[in-house]
Amino acid sequence: MTERKLVIALAGNANVGKSVIFNYLTGLHQHIGNWPGKTVERAEGTLHFKGYTIDIIDLPGIYSLSTYSLEELISRKYIAVERPDVVINVVDASVLERNLFFTLQLMELETPMIIALNQMDIAKKKGIEIDTEKLEKLLGIPVISTVAIKGVGIFKLLEKAIEIIEKGEKAKPVEVKYGEEVEDRIARITKMVEKIQFWYPPRYVAVKLLEGDEEISKEVQGMDPTIISTAEKLAAEIEKLHGHSCSTVITSERYEIAGCIAREAQKLVPPIKAPIEERLHTLTTHKILGYPIMAVSLLLVFYSIFTFGDHTSELLSNFFYGWEPIFASIFGIEIVGKLVWGGIIEGVIAGVTIALPYIVPFYIILYFLEDSGYLSRIAFLMDNAMHKIGLHGKAFIPIMLGYGCNVPACLGCRIMETERERLLAAFVTTLVPCAARTVIILGLVGEFVGIQWALMLYVFDLLVIFALGRLAFRTLPGEPTALIMEMHDYRVPHPKTVLKQTWFRLAEFIKIAFPLIIIGSLAIKLAEVLGLLEPIATALSPVTVVWLGLPAITGITLIFGVLRKELTLIMLATLLGTTNFAQVLTPVQIIVFTLVAMFYIPCIATITALVREFGWKKALFITVSEIVFAISLGGVALRLLTLTT
Amino acid sequence: MEGRNSKRLKVPLTALRNGERGIVTSIKAGRGGGWGRGWGFEKRLMDMGLTPGTRVQVVKSAPFHGPLEILVRGSRLALGRGMAERIFVEIEKE
Repeated sequence: MTERKLVIALAGNANVGKSVIFNYLTGLHQHIGNWPGKTVERAEGTLHFKGYTIDIIDLPGIYSLSTYSLEELISRKYIAVERPDVVINVVDASVLERNLFFTLQLMELETPMIIALNQMDIAKKKGIEIDTEKLEKLLGIPVISTVAIKGVGIFKLLEKAIEIIEKGEKAKPVEVKYGEEVEDRIARITKMVEKIQFWYPPRYVAVKLLEGDEEISKEVQGMDPTIISTAEKLAAEIEKLHGHSCSTVITSERYEIAGCIAREAQKLVPPIKAPIEERLHTLTTHKILGYPIMAVSLLLVFYSIFTFGDHTSELLSNFFYGWEPIFASIFGIEIVGKLVWGGIIEGVIAGVTIALPYIVPFYIILYFLEDSGYLSRIAFLMDNAMHKIGLHGKAFIPIMLGYGCNVPACLGCRIMETERERLLAAFVTTLVPCAARTVIILGLVGEFVGIQWALMLYVFDLLVIFALGRLAFRTLPGEPTALIMEMHDYRVPHPKTVLKQTWFRLAEFIKIAFPLIIIGSLAIKLAEVLGLLEPIATALSPVTVVWLGLPAITGITLIFGVLRKELTLIMLATLLGTTNFAQVLTPVQIIVFTLVAMFYIPCIATITALVREFGWKKALFITVSEIVFAISLGGVALRLLTLTT
Repeated sequence: MEGRNSKRLKVPLTALRNGERGIVTSIKAGRGGGWGRGWGFEKRLMDMGLTPGTRVQVVKSAPFHGPLEILVRGSRLALGRGMAERIFVEIEKE
């Protein structure tokens, strides 16, 4: 028997346990990519069940199906155009009303669907009891209650999905009925829309036209402009009748319906005791205590990651370099051997000794914090500070990521709502001293000038972030958007989901960073073998020697630093022939060199990430302006520091 | 809930003290800005449940004029202050 193919899509609000269900369903057979041509993630997986090969698509977590964000638009189009066999709508039982608002919109898209009523355990804790049978009847859609993090109900969910598909009969969800004045006008537009060919159902188009939906209006305008003018006229009538814009009226009424259904299906009993989650929330968002708690948690996170990373990185390095003599005996120490080892293998080692010891633990902790709900509390506390650079609280998350590595930080800027904010946030994150730059700051300045100077550089970095961030925010056109963010209740994260997310991020990092690190290593090694480094250093000497007051060979180290920042330190030791930098560099030179190394260019992997997210023009602009900025800064610092000492 | 006798005052959400409740009357969208985000802003708030007639409770606000924490339709939202200033409510008296 040949296997039949099915497609099931998962849809729902953010933080309702959608990805946990996705992981349960698909296990290791997952593939994470992007929606074609978009920087929105597309998670896909397969499973085999009852003779079917089932493709599962995990749609982005969204609150509505309007065109507010790319995620919403993509989800809507996917459901309407690609027509998955069944949509599983994951609903958070503890916030039923708001979730049903989304459910109603899915129903309006007239897609076959089932509801996974998830987080029933959390709802119960909050004193919410839901009558699933009643909910089923009210919506006309099958409802399966689940506790995804314990795997409860997942099997039933799949069985139900298959059952629906096998029956083949059209689902009979209750029609979402608005007020009389609105219904009357919907009917009139629906009749007109029925005459045109469109991928959305006619009634849905009618509702969306009354709401003033940009995408649908544009499409329909091209097909039959009279529909648009009629819709606009009718929308104005509704506005007159209700005193609110038509889109407000429809959204309100939709929420009213959701509220009615929720109230009828759920019973509220006072929770047994004030839950610990509630007290934890109050404490972590407290106007005074919230900040020290945040500072201590973050310091702890970074301290443990750097301690672990430093140690493991060294172990790995020693292990890999232990192979060098064996390698040399095979390939020789002539040009070929040098190129293969110094170019390719060292590139791989470089990648591995950054990825495993730093990036993996960083992601694990980050996802742990995100899943638990703490990251949204941090965004709440930091919103005000972020506004100073034209961003809102959520931007603090990629900035924090930047302290580990700028590459995931740039990719993490996707959580911002608009393109403008993504770019702004990404620019700011490239200025954050990542783990590699921390190695330079502590290893050079901290070791040879004094730890207080190293700390001052960190503070200075914050000032630079603030100043340049503000400058970019002033120069980029557009207005800043404010924070609207749900703070879901604290909960215990699902370890498997955390690990899986980490794994996919790691894979993404390897894909982006490794090829360029290797190609870059090879190119520089080639230049070295061909004896091009000396001439390059000489060519750079007007900048390095005259303007920055550094030895000419630092030009070479700065070129190596483009591959990965800590190479500047390693190369400095190699070229100067000592690790006791105090012997060969003055304290002022050390500080100037470190300052330049901190800012002069995003490393090659970060540049790649920038190109991927924003195109090469913007990436090039950021890169060049940072080079100019760092060199100017270094020269000014040199003159100021020599004046004072 | 029906406080018809009490005086009804329309104030921005930011005027509510911690723990106070209000009913949303309107959202003043900022037009202009070149990006046409006025529509998006209003729509976004409503999609999150802040439609006219909805009851909201201000739990607290973050220090230094930070965002508000509000309860609306059973969920907890963080709302930037600039945004909260454009949401008008009638204060509900106990």
